[in-house]
Amino acid sequence: MSQPGTPPTQTAAAQRESREGPPKKKGSDQGVVEQRSAAQIWGKSALLLVILLWCLFPFFWLIMTSLKRGDRALNSPDLFQGPFGLQNYEAVFQQDFLLNLRNSLAVAGMTTILCVVIGSFAAYALARLPLKRKILLLSGVLAVSLFPPVALVPPLYELWRTLGLLNTWEGLYIPYTSFTLPLTIFILTTFFASIPKDLEEAARVDGASPFKAFYRVIFPLAAPGVFAAAIIIFVAAWNEFLLASTFAPRNAEVAQTVPVAIAAFTGAVEFQRPIGTITAACVVVTIPMIIVALLFQKRIVSGLTAGSVKG
Amino acid sequence: MAATTTDTGREPGVSGGADRSGGPRRREMSETTLGKVFVAPAILLMALVALFPILYAMVLSLQAYTGRQNQGWAGLDNYVEALTNDRFWTALQFTIVFTVTSVAAEFLIGLGFALLMNQAFRGRGVTRASILVPWVIPTVIAAQMWFFMFNVTPGFINNVFGLGDFSWLGQSGWASFAVIFADVWKTAPFVALLLLAGLQTIPGDVYEGARVDGAGMFQRFWYITLPLLKPAILVALLFRTVEALRVYDLPQVMTGGAFNTESLSILVQQYVVRTPDPGLGSALSTITFIFILGVGMVFVRFLGKELVIGEEGR
Repeated sequence: MSQPGTPPTQTAAAQRESREGPPKKKGSDQGVVEQRSAAQIWGKSALLLVILLWCLFPFFWLIMTSLKRGDRALNSPDLFQGPFGLQNYEAVFQQDFLLNLRNSLAVAGMTTILCVVIGSFAAYALARLPLKRKILLLSGVLAVSLFPPVALVPPLYELWRTLGLLNTWEGLYIPYTSFTLPLTIFILTTFFASIPKDLEEAARVDGASPFKAFYRVIFPLAAPGVFAAAIIIFVAAWNEFLLASTFAPRNAEVAQTVPVAIAAFTGAVEFQRPIGTITAACVVVTIPMIIVALLFQKRIVSGLTAGSVKG
Repeated sequence: MAATTTDTGREPGVSGGADRSGGPRRREMSETTLGKVFVAPAILLMALVALFPILYAMVLSLQAYTGRQNQGWAGLDNYVEALTNDRFWTALQFTIVFTVTSVAAEFLIGLGFALLMNQAFRGRGVTRASILVPWVIPTVIAAQMWFFMFNVTPGFINNVFGLGDFSWLGQSGWASFAVIFADVWKTAPFVALLLLAGLQTIPGDVYEGARVDGAGMFQRFWYITLPLLKPAILVALLFRTVEALRVYDLPQVMTGGAFNTESLSILVQQYVVRTPDPGLGSALSTITFIFILGVGMVFVRFLGKELVIGEEGR
């Protein structure tokens, strides 16, 4: 029983150590070696540029393309050939895109709230409270995280049709929540387990009930972890496409989400995707996400490595 | 957990008399109950929205439909139809090829990135931040982006490499390549992130010792880095493989499943929405489910208990 609890604490400690301790040590010992060849440092940093280009260049292409005006400019693959303008962005917002944004915000927001609340209770129990068959529970959670969402498509489609949940927010955030719960539980269990037990015990000795100890002591301390989990859940729900395009394929008035709208943008000419409008919509959606990712970089990385699942 | 209960249970029991020993015991009881209460909503929700539909799909898959009209039990007819359908085998083949090549490429590139980022220190922070960009971009957007980059006119890639009007997405083989390339672009940085976290738990002294003993760079990588990184590698491979087997967004948006890029997920979705047949669709989804869960289970068996515990801890 103590097995599932102890390793996380150790690994969490190791993780913390890795964030603060060893890199410095490693840095300094490498520094000694590499002082011999400053060229080597620059060589390696130049290689980092490859990674930077890999990650950022396509996005740069996206922005430049979205800023081009008129057909002729769009038909030229030269990134810097104008004329440039915000025409495409105006076109995006003439297409109900604000409604799509509203739907996505509502669905991803509800998923995040439900997942954080339900997931943190479960994770606290798994990390701290005496539970029978903990390994079995964790294996079950792991199995659910291996489920292919497509297996839910035929049965849920029939169920939602009967229950009238097609083309509703609920029809989307309910399955999203159940699919994101395993990840949430893994991330939060790690964070809860890394909080020193003494604090909680002190609260208990002072006469706090287990529930009080949870929401007065543990929950505030786990806030950074909860926050990281919330961002990762939000991103996963925001980006989901399979269920969204099946359960709410059209009609931005009701529940069509941003990814579905972006996949479905059609141009004036059939079989030709309106590259300007699509790229502009992509930029509109992506920039806030990138800002959030950069602002909370450290927390997201520690959350992702705690859950090791892609959103 | 056991440690917590015995600790909190024992201390007051030892200090207090028989009178107080009832207190901790009651508290212990309530802790167990609280544990169950806390876990219940999560388990219930996952059972209702994940487990129950799977069972319902198995029931549906045994029934015959014309359009959406239920025509009664069909036995295993739907399964026979699914397994004798060429489209299923083509989709299965694409899914497997996609998974094997994309996961392999992502692993190699991700490992390269991680090793580099672990070494260099100038510009490491910026790199780590930028690595989150492909992860945060919705897959549909990445798909649209690469669709336009691989486009014939105005094709950015054709233009840069002077390929004229080479049709990447308009012929089988190259269409798969484009889809796999887009996936590798989006996911290799993510794999790098996971492996980097693993690399940073390896203490620097180990390398120092090996260096003193005269181990070369390659030897240090082969005998120290790889074995110590094994748990991180296995977990990354497990989740990437299962994710890749579910692939839907990229081929759906980039090619619509044309030119032999139809994945199992696209196939199932088609039988639900485009050519509605809940029976056949459910049979296909059940086969897909068993296949993907089976692959996942092989990994888990391979990793053993370490995964559940390591997973929780990582």
